[in-house]
Amino acid sequence: MARYGMALNYKNCINCRACESACKEENGVLLLKDHYRIWVGVKEAEGQFPNISIASQTYHPSQCQHCDNAPCQQVCPTNATYYGKDGMVMVDPNKCILCTYCINACPYDARYVDQRTMTVDKCTFCSDTRLAAGETTTACQATCPTKVRVFGDLDDPNSEISVLLANKEYRQVKEHLGTKPKLFYIL
Amino acid sequence: MKVEISRRRFLQGSVAMSVAGGVSLSSSSIMASAATPAKKVGNEDKKVATLCEMCVNKCAAIAHVRNGVVEKLDPNPLFPKSRNMLCARGNAGIKALYDPDRLKYPLIRDGEKGSGKFKRVSWDEAYAYINEKLTKILDEEKDNRSTVAFCAGEGIAEHTFKSFFTMFGSSHFLNHASLCLATTVSGYALTIGGYGQSDLENAKYVIMAGANRAEAIVTPDTMDFFKRTNGRGAKLITVDPRFTNTAAKSDKWLAINVGTDLAFVLALTYVVIKEERYNKAFVENYFNGFDAYKEHILNNNYTPEWAEKITGIKAKDIYEVARDFMAHAPQAIYYQGRRTTWSKNDFQLRRAQAIFSALGGGVDVKGGICFGKSLPLVEHDVVAPMYANAKERIEKNEAAVVGGSGSWVAFRNMVLENRSPYPIRALFNYKHNPMQNMPNNKKTEEFLKKLDLVVTIDTMPSDTVMLSDVILPECTYLERTDPVVSYGGIEPSIAQRNKAIDPMFETKPVMEIMRGLSAKLSKPLFEITKKHDEDVASAIEDDGEETVYKDFDLTKPFMHDQEELNVHAVSKYEGAAEILKEKGVFYPNMNEYFKKLGVNEYEYYPEHKRSYSVRNNKFNTPSGKIECSVPALAKKGIDAMPAWKAEYEMATPAGKFRFITGRHAQFTQSGTANNRLLLNLVPQNYAWINKRVAQKMGIKFGDKIEVSSKVGKTTIKAYPTEKIGPDTLFFVHGFGVYSKALSLAYNNGGNDAAILEDGIEPMHGSSCLHDTIVEIRKV
Repeated sequence: MARYGMALNYKNCINCRACESACKEENGVLLLKDHYRIWVGVKEAEGQFPNISIASQTYHPSQCQHCDNAPCQQVCPTNATYYGKDGMVMVDPNKCILCTYCINACPYDARYVDQRTMTVDKCTFCSDTRLAAGETTTACQATCPTKVRVFGDLDDPNSEISVLLANKEYRQVKEHLGTKPKLFYIL
Repeated sequence: MKVEISRRRFLQGSVAMSVAGGVSLSSSSIMASAATPAKKVGNEDKKVATLCEMCVNKCAAIAHVRNGVVEKLDPNPLFPKSRNMLCARGNAGIKALYDPDRLKYPLIRDGEKGSGKFKRVSWDEAYAYINEKLTKILDEEKDNRSTVAFCAGEGIAEHTFKSFFTMFGSSHFLNHASLCLATTVSGYALTIGGYGQSDLENAKYVIMAGANRAEAIVTPDTMDFFKRTNGRGAKLITVDPRFTNTAAKSDKWLAINVGTDLAFVLALTYVVIKEERYNKAFVENYFNGFDAYKEHILNNNYTPEWAEKITGIKAKDIYEVARDFMAHAPQAIYYQGRRTTWSKNDFQLRRAQAIFSALGGGVDVKGGICFGKSLPLVEHDVVAPMYANAKERIEKNEAAVVGGSGSWVAFRNMVLENRSPYPIRALFNYKHNPMQNMPNNKKTEEFLKKLDLVVTIDTMPSDTVMLSDVILPECTYLERTDPVVSYGGIEPSIAQRNKAIDPMFETKPVMEIMRGLSAKLSKPLFEITKKHDEDVASAIEDDGEETVYKDFDLTKPFMHDQEELNVHAVSKYEGAAEILKEKGVFYPNMNEYFKKLGVNEYEYYPEHKRSYSVRNNKFNTPSGKIECSVPALAKKGIDAMPAWKAEYEMATPAGKFRFITGRHAQFTQSGTANNRLLLNLVPQNYAWINKRVAQKMGIKFGDKIEVSSKVGKTTIKAYPTEKIGPDTLFFVHGFGVYSKALSLAYNNGGNDAAILEDGIEPMHGSSCLHDTIVEIRKV
């Protein structure tokens, strides 16, 4: 059993949104408004022309954090949201009743109602598409022009992600909520 | 660009600005979406190594094909140029393949030109129609082949189309160069001996002026560079009238007045010469005419204080950048740029940039501008026939040097204004969209309507297609094998696009189209030549018709299959043909050199095998040195040394705006305008207008505004922002399509070709894309 997580060299991100399109193509996300599993959070530049604060404009790629302590799993009345293998937070489309409690519970706003599967869908780290076929990368990682993402096993001390996290400073998002997220932003 | 995203989710500091509505999807496109399902595990028939054609870069991709359906495109890690990536557009290639609006059958116009009425015909009927029209035209024009013009958009198969042009014998070939990069390519070539490749993997200091590599992606520059910005080894100075995504990644953003870059570069040059900060050994050994240039710069007093008044960039910033640049040289680059012809002085601007880069010694050296090596292919030679009556290019005197790709705007305008010495009557167009890419589309429309015959080969019913007489549907890049291509550079390689699936509907690759068309045209056209060409008539008397016809046989370049030609092209590299078919990429010692270093990292060549320095201190210029002066051009009225002229200063009247155009990372000009996936990411373009100016005018985000210039108008939604100055207006090119046959792109956003004025610069007759003044009003 692995425990998958993702480190993000977010400073590399140029907001080209290759990741978002690769995710949609790989996972068959419908091309409708608000249908996306991953996104780039953009903070707009501050200041007045021509005195713009360069540092104020940032790009933060994001997606489901696959929390070890996932609020969405706790509130799901039908156990449709569950901890799958390799530490991933998964959704069982047969159990989901679209009550959307999980959407409200998720502090990362990572979930949306998918009109194809009629499930509250989210990122699966491509487990049913790529990983199941023997791939070792997620679609968003593989396609990224500036190689923002490092996906791997947090329990394997020799994995690239473990080595990276052992040697670099990073921060996590809303850690104080006790969610134990598995996305790491490298500083 | 945040405004186009409609993000309800921000991890931090969310901005309260939402966009109403998403992509408007027609029911047919939703159906089509359901028909191209997500990739499923197992039962995968095959993986095909292809090359992307969603933009100019040609990234290597693997197409996953199951049951004859392309289900997913993944990056192919083997290609050194694309560095194992596919951008948003690359991922959206499948949507181009399965676009319900694609051209599916040959069509002939069946109504007034521009009426959009066409009738479906067979390939043979289409060829016969072209034959009938063309023989009539050439007979009337006494075999002056130049009365028929050829134009092509950028792409690997342009080569095949160009073979047809060469055999046909016209003087007129026109492509995107004069609407794009002609001035920068020749500016660098005439100065340092080549356009080169900026080594952004090793450069320590880079000035990117107008080049927006975070949004206008160029491989491998974009991928190499942005891993190293933000205090991680490479300093970036962005010079741009807009705060772009590239500016957001830079150490310094200098908001320059539009069209004044030359003054900025001259002032940088002034500082390093005056303060003697340039690389003295390099200048001593490898510069030709430095003393005269030095005198020219100093005597003209191109001081930072002088430049501040013109450029709007503070003198202290110019001093700082000049000094910093030289402190990091030779690992310092004034980036060449790509789609570059902005103003009349563009050629001089590129010359000045090249000289400035060279003053630091950053040419043909690691971390500078490199020339790299190429892997030569075996050419498939076909001797072109000579037509005695083919006259020379009509626009050859409209600029100092009109090269083989012509001056599109000058050509079009001469035809329209009846200034052509002989009539231009027909146009063969391969995948080119002058209605969208050439300034002043009213003139382009008139031009296309004026011609007796317009034959367009394309995949999509573009604005230009709708004004054509005959439409020949090409298959998309995923349905064809194209000519194998050699990509020179620091890490050279050869790559090949292999067919992923068979062509759909009645579409064909351009090779087959040319084969069919040339078979139909060859003999009838030879009859015309026989009738009017005295040289040919006497040659027939001497050698017999059969022998002479062999030279004029138009079918010659198209007799072989593309696969066969590709095998021949790489025959000097053992095993290359098989490897290219299977893996899409080949270079000598690939098996040994190519290494996977980590989950995201590959090595293509070991460090000591990379071609950083190849010139042995002799540059490909007339003197073998860096040319400060090009006296040969002075005779043609082009300044021998870059100089600023008062006429370059263009005032923007109060209440009006200087219009600039550009790109972002989700669309490639007009070619992707109808792509469902990309429209899902970015539904339309927006006009950037300074926030305070917008407020004064009562314009809010999303308000519709009419943008008008001397030549036309367009309507677009407003995006008030502080990322642009009060007298500048910007929007992304490629939107606002007129063709109703592009159901998603039609009338979606603003069209810059409608408002851009069609001035040209004096060197190559390239189109000045940033010399238009516009006004706006809320509608």
